[in-house]
Amino acid sequence: MTVTKTQTPAVRRAGAAEGDLELASRRRNRRTYLVLLLPGLLGLLVSFVFPLAYMIRMSFNRGAPDGVIEETFTLDTYIQPLTDPYYWRVTLDTFQMGVTVGLLCVLVSYPVALFLARSTSKYRGLLMAIAIAPLLTSAVVRTYGWMVILGTNGLVNSSLKGMGLIDTPLKLTNNMTGVTIGLVEIFMPYAILAMISGFGRLSPQLEEAAGSLGASKLQVFTRVTIPLSLPGILTAFLLVFVLSISTFITPRLLGGGSVQVLATEVYDQTTGLLNWPFAAALSVILLILFGLIIAVYQRLTKKIGG
Amino acid sequence: MRVITKGKIALAAAATAAALVLTGCGGGSGSTGGGNSSATSGELNLIAYSGVWQDQYTAAVIEPFKAKYPDIKINFVSKRSSAEMLSALQGQKNSPATDVAIMDNSVSTTGNTQGLFDKIDATAVPNLANVPDKFKGKDGFGPVVMLDAVGLLYDTATFPKAPDSWNVLWDPAYAGKINVNAPPSLLGLSLTAITSKMEGEDYTKSIDKAVARLKEMAPGVQTFAPNPDEYQNVITGQTVLGLGQNARGQFYSDQSNKKMGVTFPKEGTVYQINTVNIVKDAPNKAAAQTFANYALSAEAQTAFAKALFYAPSVTNAELPADVKARVVPTDGSLNIVPLDVEFLSSARDKWTDIWKRQIITK
Repeated sequence: MTVTKTQTPAVRRAGAAEGDLELASRRRNRRTYLVLLLPGLLGLLVSFVFPLAYMIRMSFNRGAPDGVIEETFTLDTYIQPLTDPYYWRVTLDTFQMGVTVGLLCVLVSYPVALFLARSTSKYRGLLMAIAIAPLLTSAVVRTYGWMVILGTNGLVNSSLKGMGLIDTPLKLTNNMTGVTIGLVEIFMPYAILAMISGFGRLSPQLEEAAGSLGASKLQVFTRVTIPLSLPGILTAFLLVFVLSISTFITPRLLGGGSVQVLATEVYDQTTGLLNWPFAAALSVILLILFGLIIAVYQRLTKKIGG
Repeated sequence: MRVITKGKIALAAAATAAALVLTGCGGGSGSTGGGNSSATSGELNLIAYSGVWQDQYTAAVIEPFKAKYPDIKINFVSKRSSAEMLSALQGQKNSPATDVAIMDNSVSTTGNTQGLFDKIDATAVPNLANVPDKFKGKDGFGPVVMLDAVGLLYDTATFPKAPDSWNVLWDPAYAGKINVNAPPSLLGLSLTAITSKMEGEDYTKSIDKAVARLKEMAPGVQTFAPNPDEYQNVITGQTVLGLGQNARGQFYSDQSNKKMGVTFPKEGTVYQINTVNIVKDAPNKAAAQTFANYALSAEAQTAFAKALFYAPSVTNAELPADVKARVVPTDGSLNIVPLDVEFLSSARDKWTDIWKRQIITK
């Protein structure tokens, strides 16, 4: 007993010391994490939070002709686009473009992503690099490439003419068709990467099991492969959708002034008409649209995840 | 769990994309400061047009200026349009980082009313004496430094003889082969005024008839925002007719071995006039005055006319006959549709809106 009595405080002291050490170490770790996070957080604050706050404040000012900004607090900049059918149409066109590009991009990227995810070839790394290689070239350069390919005298029209299939060139550029083609190609690498990272649950054993239980190849694909790759498909769709509705270069260059989406409208208001408050309000509307879509996406993924 | 993790990745990606859009909207412009310059030394910050204009102005005017004033260092900040320049200057209003701006007079007039520019001191800029009164700035602000006008661009293979009327833009034979720059581009605003005049309207009161006529033309327009620009569209055969500036049109006509031509149709055209302006509270005012004086010299204006076919604004500039024949006439011999700059600054938003909603077709 005596021994126990004399030992207990020592053990306690040792235990307490150990606990203190652990606590101190945990505190040190937390401090290290904070210090490591600080540059990133500061960068985010300067490059994202401040401009965002500035933009939101700007959206409540009033834009007079020729770039004069009246510092005030008005909702006019929001009332105007929300009550004007033209801006509803522009918003709807933006949304439609995002959905169309998202769907087409997923459709053409899915086979490539599936092949790359399953490949056991020693060249898999190389194939992967080839699939995402277009990212090494700027979207502006690739858009100019599409302008050359889709133009009146471009590769497509010249080939079709040469084969005697058309007399007058098809209008493949300076409209939504050209913008859609360009965006699908430009965002394919993102879709492929997003899908591969989302194919974690996809397992060849499950497909084999379904096959051995009598499912046809089509049934295996529609009832096993697709449901298991759905998280990857949804992530890719969301990523491409968000990138599409926020992109301005391709709609501007391949749209030929006929494609009016929120991003091009923001550009025109900012640089052409110098109405920064109105441009800021349109950007906030675009941001809200992002938020809504992401909320829907999260609900969907939760549902799929069980 | 995995799904949610991927969701977070997508969220982060979406946030990054949003950040890119938003920071892109932040605008703003940067320029190097200077200060403490004298009339013959120090730094000078010039804001003017980009692209071929910058290249040619640098070679024809800035380089000789630097040879003459080796102690003045020029920082050239280039912008695609005068509106972008105005936007940059507005952003610097409280602490100007620009000394001289060369921009369209419809925009510089706005800058004058907004207090962005100083009046020109004739004693510090003696070459102002060679600028005729009609080209001197109202109330003593920046004078005209060069003139140009809107021209009709055409493919010389399709049109061995230059078209003489704007009506060719409505000819069904060329439907789908036309490029037109929609407003707020000055080209589109000019076409609106020209069409209004052709329809017998007073565009300051109404453009209804012009809009109806432009709507007839719109389905035949290949692009309302030609890329890389209006000239290359014609040169590469994407279109056969287009709107463009005479000066650049002449330059690219030579560059393309005359594949493209530029002409002034009989119904008239609109001047595009550039002014040289000294920014109010410019950090290097003395050097700015020295530069403005040089820009208004016969030497600089003749050199730039030879390089990019802008008509000089000073009376003592003598052009060789072959250059004179290709710059816009300023002696009253050309049919000009007067586009009042003060009216234009109030109509720009309205006309742009009309084009977007009523004229531009999908």
